[in-house]
Amino acid sequence: MKTLKVTIALAALIALPGAMAGDSPAPKNAYLYIGWPNDGEVIRSNEFKVWFGLRNMGVAPAGVEKPFTGHHHLIIDAPLPPMDQEIPSDHNHLHFGKGQTETRLTLPSGTHTLQLLLADHNHVPHNPPIMSEQITITVK
Amino acid sequence: MKQSIVAAAMLAALLPGLAVAGDSPAPDNARVYIIWPSDGATIPGGKMWVRFGLQNMGVAPAGTEKPYTGHHHLIIDTDLPSFDTEIPADRNHIHYGKGFSEGRVELPPGKHTLQLLFADHNHVPHNPPVYSEKITIYVPEQ
Repeated sequence: MKTLKVTIALAALIALPGAMAGDSPAPKNAYLYIGWPNDGEVIRSNEFKVWFGLRNMGVAPAGVEKPFTGHHHLIIDAPLPPMDQEIPSDHNHLHFGKGQTETRLTLPSGTHTLQLLLADHNHVPHNPPIMSEQITITVK
Repeated sequence: MKQSIVAAAMLAALLPGLAVAGDSPAPDNARVYIIWPSDGATIPGGKMWVRFGLQNMGVAPAGTEKPYTGHHHLIIDTDLPSFDTEIPADRNHIHYGKGFSEGRVELPPGKHTLQLLFADHNHVPHNPPVYSEKITIYVPEQ
């Protein structure tokens, strides 16, 4: 029984990665990060700038299919969405389909999380998915 | 005569938008700037990622024609090129046609200038042209 469980777990490990990402390849050295604010930043304004940092991949507007490009999605106060489908578009998942590399955010006072997720021309994350670390900020 | 010179000067003043810029429009509030390094920075070793800042426009790879988009060009140790033709591609004019928003640069010891110039799918600056301030950085002798 124990062996069966281990086998299932191993099979899942082997089978899943392909299934949990989109079709657009990303280079291994692609690096996505939030350039500003820093993790733990205390911001004394409800409106502030967020810089999107991306190395070794390019930005392209949504709908433009070019290898090793994508557009930014900012995930606010939410966990990462599934990696094998289109990223939702709502208050917690902002799309930057015009090729923007920064934005101005307005958030209510309190603690918030921010995370970037790059996605391809169809809004589906790459394979492997390219995401930043999730940071926590406090808006005062 | 004096009047016609004044008239010619006035006409010339009206022309720049037409004669010395490309065909792709840029919004009036578009702004490109160098996020890092900062003006006057000293960079030991001379190797750096230059971060490209862009407001109110988008990045698109070269060859992609979408309104209000373009790609970055880093002008190193030289003045801005003419705005009505394709930006040269050489050591002093680095094209980021893959849609990059930062670029790895290695510079020898000495004083250097960096400036960003945004351009359209054909590598021609927008109308009005969108460029950053020129910054100066220092790479110390090892």
